[in-house]
Amino acid sequence: MDILYQLVQNTYVSMTVLLIVALGGLLAERSGVTNIALEGIMILGAFIGVWAIQGLEIYPYSPLTKVVIFLVSLAFSAVMSWGLSLFIKRLFKKDIYSLFKKNITTKRILLVISALVALTLTILFFIWLVNTQIHVQFILVMGMMIGGLVGGLYAMIHAHASIYMKANQIISATALNLFAPAFAIFTARFIQRGQQIPFSSSFLIQEVPLLSQIPIIGQLLFTRVYLSFFIGLALLVIISIIIFKTKFGIRLRACGENPNAADSLGINIYRLRFIAVTLSGVFAGMGGVIFVVTTSTEFNVTVAGFGFLAIAVLIFGNWRPSRIILAALFFGFMRTIASSYSIIPFLNSLGLPREFYNMIPYIATLVILAFFSKNSRAPKALGQIYDQGKR
Amino acid sequence: MKYKVEMKHITKVFGTLVANDDVSIAIKTGEIYALLGENGAGKSTLMSILFGLYKPEKGEIVIDGIPVEINNPNDANKMGIGMVHQHFKLVETFTVLENIILGIEDVKKGILQYDDAIKKITKLIETYQLNVDINAYIKDITVGQQQRVEILKMLYRDSDILIFDEPTAVLTPQEIHELINIMKGFSKEGKTIILITHKLNEIKAVADTCTVLRRGKAIGTVKVSDVSVEKMAEMMVGREVLFTVEKEDITPGENIFKVENLSIEGKGKKIVKNINFDVHQSEIVGIAGIDGNGQTELIHALTGLIPFHHGTVTLNGKDISKTNIRTKYETGMSHIPEDRQKHGVIMDFDLQSNLILQNFYQPQYQKHKFLRFDAILENAKTLIEQFDIRSEGGPRTILRSMSGGNQQKAILGREMARAHDLLIAVQPTRGLDVGAIEYIHNQLLAERRRGKAILLVSLEIEEIMNLSDRILVMYEGEIVGELDPKEITINELGLYMSGAKRGASHV
Amino acid sequence: MSKTKKLLRKFFTALKPSLIAIGFGLLIGLIIMLIFNPGDAFQALFTLLIGGFNGGLKGIGNMLYQAAPIILTGLAVAFAFKTGLFNIGASGQMMMGAYVAIYVGVRWELPFGIHWIVAMLIGTLAGGLWGLIPGLLKAISNVNEVISSIMMNYIAGHWLIYLIRTNIFNGSYSRSMNILPSAQLPMLTSIFPGSSANIGILIAIAVAIIAHIIVHKTTLGFQLRASGFSMDGSKYAGMNTKSNIITAMTISGLFAGLAGALAYLVVGKTIGTAFEIFPQGFDGISVALLGLGEPLGALFAGIFLSNLRMGGFYMQSYGFVPQIIDMIIAVIIYVTAISIALQAALKIYGDRIRAWFKRRKLKEEV
Repeated sequence: MDILYQLVQNTYVSMTVLLIVALGGLLAERSGVTNIALEGIMILGAFIGVWAIQGLEIYPYSPLTKVVIFLVSLAFSAVMSWGLSLFIKRLFKKDIYSLFKKNITTKRILLVISALVALTLTILFFIWLVNTQIHVQFILVMGMMIGGLVGGLYAMIHAHASIYMKANQIISATALNLFAPAFAIFTARFIQRGQQIPFSSSFLIQEVPLLSQIPIIGQLLFTRVYLSFFIGLALLVIISIIIFKTKFGIRLRACGENPNAADSLGINIYRLRFIAVTLSGVFAGMGGVIFVVTTSTEFNVTVAGFGFLAIAVLIFGNWRPSRIILAALFFGFMRTIASSYSIIPFLNSLGLPREFYNMIPYIATLVILAFFSKNSRAPKALGQIYDQGKR
Repeated sequence: MKYKVEMKHITKVFGTLVANDDVSIAIKTGEIYALLGENGAGKSTLMSILFGLYKPEKGEIVIDGIPVEINNPNDANKMGIGMVHQHFKLVETFTVLENIILGIEDVKKGILQYDDAIKKITKLIETYQLNVDINAYIKDITVGQQQRVEILKMLYRDSDILIFDEPTAVLTPQEIHELINIMKGFSKEGKTIILITHKLNEIKAVADTCTVLRRGKAIGTVKVSDVSVEKMAEMMVGREVLFTVEKEDITPGENIFKVENLSIEGKGKKIVKNINFDVHQSEIVGIAGIDGNGQTELIHALTGLIPFHHGTVTLNGKDISKTNIRTKYETGMSHIPEDRQKHGVIMDFDLQSNLILQNFYQPQYQKHKFLRFDAILENAKTLIEQFDIRSEGGPRTILRSMSGGNQQKAILGREMARAHDLLIAVQPTRGLDVGAIEYIHNQLLAERRRGKAILLVSLEIEEIMNLSDRILVMYEGEIVGELDPKEITINELGLYMSGAKRGASHV
Repeated sequence: MSKTKKLLRKFFTALKPSLIAIGFGLLIGLIIMLIFNPGDAFQALFTLLIGGFNGGLKGIGNMLYQAAPIILTGLAVAFAFKTGLFNIGASGQMMMGAYVAIYVGVRWELPFGIHWIVAMLIGTLAGGLWGLIPGLLKAISNVNEVISSIMMNYIAGHWLIYLIRTNIFNGSYSRSMNILPSAQLPMLTSIFPGSSANIGILIAIAVAIIAHIIVHKTTLGFQLRASGFSMDGSKYAGMNTKSNIITAMTISGLFAGLAGALAYLVVGKTIGTAFEIFPQGFDGISVALLGLGEPLGALFAGIFLSNLRMGGFYMQSYGFVPQIIDMIIAVIIYVTAISIALQAALKIYGDRIRAWFKRRKLKEEV
């Protein structure tokens, strides 16, 4: 029984990475843009993200780490300011608020006030964070945020090329995949003499207080897990809501199915796709950080093909979130078997070579694709360059 | 402010083609106004201008007495103009509801709200009898229902000028009847309707006024109740014949091409129904009809570009219904395709390669799998001279850089020069100048003299009349008449083509 | 204009996108070098461009030795590209080719002069088989060949370790065993003393020419190019598109398999047992793109790229890590992808600048 729990817990590790990256890929592909650059984006995000984590582990913080902390503070204050503005809207009667907005001078005053608030919050956060030994889980979150930021910026390069400059999406993505590891090795070697970036914290949560005591479910879901696991599940829910229940989501899907129709209704195809691809980069960047942090003790310029496996998860999941998590679980499980077969008595007795187990996820992918590609429900306009001139 | 919509002296030019030549129309509020004309007459272009897809070179648009500028569909929408296109712009994997609200969604706290939309749409459905299940997926509903979704899209956006582009082309007779009632309902409510069509009976059934366009010019505007269907047909097609060709009488030879009981299924509707005909040697059989009545699909099935499951096709005694395309060529078929750039040539190949596209593997052009460039070049030179194919670089010219007319001559030359017994020519002179047209017509007649069987599909009535020995008219996927060009008039042919007249069943 | 002048002009216009891309790549490289070590940056760039010549005949010899495999993987990618397919699996095909060639070199005993030929040929076949699989999957089940060939890369990477471990394992170094001297490709050390140069480069040149002939002069090439340009047109013409796909991917795999054989049929050259996906496969993509998708182009691009890599090796004396080359290459590929839009943009800017100069000139004249 214990073994089973262990296997499940290990599965979550791979599943989380695949899930998050695949969700990002889902956004891009649902909007009609293929993105096989996820692997490279993961590597770059992992590189900067793990580097940030390494920095955050050593207190007092180096100047570079302080920059990282500043960026995070900025992000937090932005979120807080937005939340605050919503709260104020609720508080004041709606009419007074819109009255403020209409008048140009009051609008300007409002802008200045909000900027000051944001700035103050940023500085407050910054000062607080810089002077505390940050809690280990929070370090993980910060690392993910940085990884996501880097991933998003990097993906913009691919987005710009394939959407605005009508480039071949495969070639542009290949360029990103080639650049990222080279850049990581180059920069790492230059700054610190080696290409590996180790970190020392263990992010594993041995037991979630209270919840881990629940019989069975406690062991399955709340023991020996990573925070990223819960973040992944949360993202699954959030992305599902966004894709199916928001204005952005329905327009996104329209772009991917029939851009002509969307265009005729006044939707800006280019802008939507750009946002979608950028977001896919954010997720890939986060996924890269999570991969390194949950599967080893250092960044070593690889994500074991997870960027590509995520695309397979996407195809296997038929471009739907509810299926994607199942696909991610499946592949995660395959990988777990690959690394843990020695503790499974049944498999151990088979005496199969360890390399065979390593191959399983990839062979499984091929087999599944062979069956699934014929009836795939890929977004109709996937991979096609949209040219408004040819209406 | 007498008129709701006025288009004054509209001229639109595409390259050398004058699509609209000083066309003026004036439509009253609540009127059902029809634009009648053949393919290429300029009706769609005119309405595309009104809907903001094109900008005219000359002329102005006046809505409710105020001159306006319409630069894109959004502007048109703001003016209350809506258009149901011939090719629907719907997202197949979305529901009816989602398609209607797309682009003007209601949102509360970031989440889509459908309640208000559902209320409004349900009311619209009731008011105008546009019955459709708003929760059904587009891919699951019939074409007629899809069209209602397009109409609802317009109504939901409070359009009061509704343009319908060939709306009945894809409907069953039942659905056409329902649509006519719906349009009458709109008119009663004060909405203005513009109907683009070539179907005379329907104009008679629903329209108040009709402007006839021919070759870009407005021929005349009539009150529909005052004119007969024949008169409208005459206005639509009547013109002096451009030129006559020398066509002598030849007794047809053997029956070498038989099509029996051919049917093609589409989305819940049979696109082509029970086609039976044959073609003899030394005979030109012309298939006449307005675009969209099944001719394209029929030819694609006969030539192997799409599969079909009912019926048989026999050439030279051999059943070629299920064979691959190469076998069809080897059995004696030649095909000048409708979409010459997509199918007929490889645009990025050079001329000489295109001229051996189907038979590059035969011994005259390869030895031990190595291409015999001398033979290929010779062939190209011969055909260039024989068929007057003009290009900048001769046999080495990349096809993309050649003019449309010369591309067509290349295809023609290739298909005629290759050994064959049957030539299927679809729209062989579309987009060509008078000189090229005359040339190709003479070539087709020469084929006929040489004893070939020719199946000619064309949207040009004159062409069909001049060249065919027998004319088969296709309407809504069926052959509705077999006519002798010597015994009927162009106007009569027009009636058959627009479904106003039908012949008895024939072989 | 004379015929040669016309031809030259055509040649250079075709080359323009590649040259622009290379220019951009080197520019970015220079900028990066200036950021990290401004003092030596220009020197380093110079070393980079000279490449193999930095090391005299030895350097050139090594450059040619390393050029052969990437010329071939470049041919593999280019060949598939001509048919409209993306073969990202050249690495995996090369790895299988390398393994099989080494195996034959280790375990079979054949007379001198025959042994290496047999090893090379069988290695080539192995690569072909590895390329056949994604081809079949695409033709029959419509599986995207990009993903399937990437999966094949990973499968090859892991399987390779197992195969080496069980069949040709050299325990003391944890690598594959050395091949027998009879299996080694004849060397060219007489011309390039001190280097690893072998006749691989000559074979690569020959194969490039053969590939060129296949693509441009045979009925097979005719069909493949037709499919690559227009699926609809080739269908109309009666060609069998499914078998075209399978054939193209298989031949592509053969080329990549040969690359593996040429790289590893050298005594002392062994494959390690740590997981790896050979980088030459990805270099092949760069080579194919730079060579404008043409077999002969791949030949020159492969030599150029190998030279660049050699330059990167020598550049280390300035403190720059060779990964700079990878970055430069990545930029080159990226610029190639946006080349059409970029050329249009450059033209617009060029016109604007020219117009500005014209106006200035007119102003001065007034």
